[in-house]
Amino acid sequence: MSPENPEINEKSSNKQILHQAIFNTAVVAGIFSIIVFGLLVVNYLQVRLLDPMRTERLENLKLQLAEKPTDEQILTQIRQLDLQIRKDKISRLNFSHQGAILLVAGIIIFISAAKIAADLKRKLPMPQPAHDIQTKQVRHVTLARWSIVSFLVLTGVFAVLFAVTKKIDFSQGSSSYPSEEQINKNWPRFRGPQGSGVSFYTNIPTKWDGKTGKGIIWKTKVPLPGNNSPVIWDDKIFLCGANKKQRQVYCFDRIKGRLIWQKDVTTAIPDGNIPDIEEATSYAAPTMTTDGKRVFAIFPLGDVACFDFKGKNIWNKNLGLPHSMYGYATSLEMYQNLLIIQYDQASADDGKSRIFALDAFSGNTVWEVKRPVGGSWTTPIVAKIGEQHQLITCADPCVISYNPSNGAEIWRAECVSGDLAPSPIYAGDFVFAVSPYNKLSAIKPDGAGDVTKSHIAWTVEGDIPDISSPVSDGKYIYLATTEGILSCIQISDGKKLWFKDVREEFNASPSIVGKYVYLICTDGTAIIIESAEEYREIARNELGEEVFASPAFADGRIYIRSEEYLYCIGNTN
Amino acid sequence: MISSRYITIPIIFLLLCTQTLWAVERFPPPDFVETDHKLPSTDYITDVTPRLVLYEYIDVAVLAGTLSLASYLVLKNRSRRAIFALMIFSLLYFGFWRKGCICSIGSIQNLVLSVFSNSYVIPLTVLAFFILPLAFTLFFGRTFCAAVCPLGAIQDVVLLRPLVLPKWLESGLRLCAYLYLGAAVLFASTDSAFIICRYDPFVAFFRLTGRLNMMILGACLLVIGVFIGRPYCRFLCPYGVILRQFSRLSRWHATITPDECIKCRLCEDACPFNAINTPTAPWPASNYRKSKIAITSILIISPVIIFLAVLLGASISDSWSKMNPTVRLAERIYLENNGMVEGTINESVAFRSAGTPVSELYQQASIIKNQFKFGGRLLGCFIGFVISLMLINNSIQRRREDYQTDRAGCVSCGRCFQFCPKEQERLKKLKEQSA
Repeated sequence: MSPENPEINEKSSNKQILHQAIFNTAVVAGIFSIIVFGLLVVNYLQVRLLDPMRTERLENLKLQLAEKPTDEQILTQIRQLDLQIRKDKISRLNFSHQGAILLVAGIIIFISAAKIAADLKRKLPMPQPAHDIQTKQVRHVTLARWSIVSFLVLTGVFAVLFAVTKKIDFSQGSSSYPSEEQINKNWPRFRGPQGSGVSFYTNIPTKWDGKTGKGIIWKTKVPLPGNNSPVIWDDKIFLCGANKKQRQVYCFDRIKGRLIWQKDVTTAIPDGNIPDIEEATSYAAPTMTTDGKRVFAIFPLGDVACFDFKGKNIWNKNLGLPHSMYGYATSLEMYQNLLIIQYDQASADDGKSRIFALDAFSGNTVWEVKRPVGGSWTTPIVAKIGEQHQLITCADPCVISYNPSNGAEIWRAECVSGDLAPSPIYAGDFVFAVSPYNKLSAIKPDGAGDVTKSHIAWTVEGDIPDISSPVSDGKYIYLATTEGILSCIQISDGKKLWFKDVREEFNASPSIVGKYVYLICTDGTAIIIESAEEYREIARNELGEEVFASPAFADGRIYIRSEEYLYCIGNTN
Repeated sequence: MISSRYITIPIIFLLLCTQTLWAVERFPPPDFVETDHKLPSTDYITDVTPRLVLYEYIDVAVLAGTLSLASYLVLKNRSRRAIFALMIFSLLYFGFWRKGCICSIGSIQNLVLSVFSNSYVIPLTVLAFFILPLAFTLFFGRTFCAAVCPLGAIQDVVLLRPLVLPKWLESGLRLCAYLYLGAAVLFASTDSAFIICRYDPFVAFFRLTGRLNMMILGACLLVIGVFIGRPYCRFLCPYGVILRQFSRLSRWHATITPDECIKCRLCEDACPFNAINTPTAPWPASNYRKSKIAITSILIISPVIIFLAVLLGASISDSWSKMNPTVRLAERIYLENNGMVEGTINESVAFRSAGTPVSELYQQASIIKNQFKFGGRLLGCFIGFVISLMLINNSIQRRREDYQTDRAGCVSCGRCFQFCPKEQERLKKLKEQSA
């Protein structure tokens, strides 16, 4: 370029001006893009930070509304907040979209201008003299090999980091539910494993006195009343209590009796719709159940709640207010990972009775079966009969067996009637069903379809209970009527071996521990008799408090829920 | 008598109209039995007309057209400007208009899945997207990368201040692409994930929306791309791995000079992608012996390298199997069942509600894990083999007299054309002829 040539100078000057203009355009477009980008980031942060806070507030308001469903103020707040969240969401989305378009436009202008500016200022290639190409070649080859090896090493390091993550072997401990052995060693439901009332442990004390404290290891006050029985898993005891306004679940330390946690269970039923429930039934009659990891409770308003062992509420569900004459009192049962709820109500003609099988993890309904029965207060049992598990239910007018996996009916026998409270048991290859004040039926559970005429082995009448359930050691079956008459029947042929008026009143169901039968009377007296062909009383122990719940047994201990306290009875030495 | 065109034209028109019939909804909407919820029929969301199948064929036609044009522009026209213009068109069409899908890079996975899965049939259009660029590369070099691939285009556009990476570093970084290709094949063959699509760094830009992490990754690559030419294409693109091999064998290929190289060295720094091979000096005599020893040593330790890589592949297989939804669900269920996690997730709730036995799920998951174990070993074997080959390749002492394009690495962008004085001469002659 010659400075003397005016034409070239002019061209160069024009090029310089053009370059400057385009360069400035690039700068402006770049600054514009940065500003738009910054605004988009601020918008994004608002979405990430502000929205969750509002959503949390909305959730809290919804919870408040659940407690006070008629509170118009909360309702209005929810509506306003919800509208605000939606409006903001839409406006932010629009902002993001328009911002993105502006950002793209800005970047396009910036890049185009920058490229043109760079082209205008591009220097012509001016190769420098090459020095020592040989050495460069050799160095390149060596370094290239090292870079490849480095890649291998780095990949290896990453692979090792990946490999140290915890591996899961599906063949180990694949079941979500406890084993039969674990269930037997605990007391996971009403009347223990299979609802039989038979204790796995035989080292249970036979002597205690609630008034003097003899044999009482501890007693702890239960905050709210309830007739449900204790449920035990390892070192924890679960109970629930309720009144018309409150429903609670409790976890106690089994060894020391300390109340570890208590949790409220909210109801979906509005205050005004909560029915009055008879005191004899209570607002917390159904006994809880556990699968060893979670604990489940149901209350007479149809509220089902699941907690983990630390007291964290996992899920809640309401099955609808049951139409139950005395108040819903059926306890829960577990089968594998299914929570079984026998939800009998109203009359058979109303068609409202159901059995629900809920997924223990989520509370979702896995299966639901309509039942041709009226309201009942019995608790279903899942019994292993042969190689098959059967879910046995009892309600007017029939005993029905289902497949607990899918709810398919297996057999039914029309042999019960009235307001049923005694639960069925399975013992000595028979299912025993009690028809209150009427008869005890022994049903062979290996049939299919209607087995009323074909599979009822025998029936026994007289001294039949209306509340407490039977108990059996596989040879004899024991019954305790509310009026205090005990009777013993031989399983093989239904022959009544003896009966005895013990001049007490029974609501709790009898239990068997080794060779003894434990009976807890409503006044708190425990009668222990020998399981034998003849009546022989071993002991009578006073608790000094009324008892309506059935006892639970653990290693060397009995747990009894009285009206106000939970007692632990055992060897105090 | 009615002229045949009066019948043919309406028939063609009607046939075109029937295209909407092909575009049926692939997934029927849920029926909401439990809640009695009815889908609003006039909702603008549900009333969106599905995309016509015809467009897929149009896409293939556009692909074939752009590939042909790109090949012409690279080999005959030798115009960087025209290549750049076509690249912008491809970026707009395949990128922003077609939202980056379907793309040839991702089609690898469709092909692999169709080979390994009995329940998947690869659509012809996807197959065309996989085959056409390969076929063109076999004849004309990587003209697909030059002006058709939207991912390449977006990186090429942002390249403002190119810095040349040392060639030796490229050798190591390029292995990432082989690993990515192997991983993509492994995940696709086990029907676990289409990772190329999932981790496409630029698709979020094409769609003007996407996951934040992918946007950050894409932005990082673009910022790097301002200085280092096409980082994704060179060091990550799995399709690029295949194209490289095809390009080595290509019948014709872009050349720096249209004539004989005069070794003026003007093109030496022209390529931002390090794809110009410079003439070599005679190798030092002592180095020949070293080179022979190195090659022999590599050949001997190759089985060890492959064995090590197989071990590494096997060791990562368990972690990688978690990408499979069945394995992930099974592990979640296992953790929930054993009280190792708190709460549930939507997938586990849905699974439990379905009533499928857990043992069945575990069995399926175990089968998939075994597939990953086998696949992980194969992947390790592949990487070990590639590493060995690359080591050998880097130990061979080659001789070059001219400045040549690196057939494998050259993306035929045409930047080097204008640096060649012979090219300037050719253009001048053309100008004169046209004048």
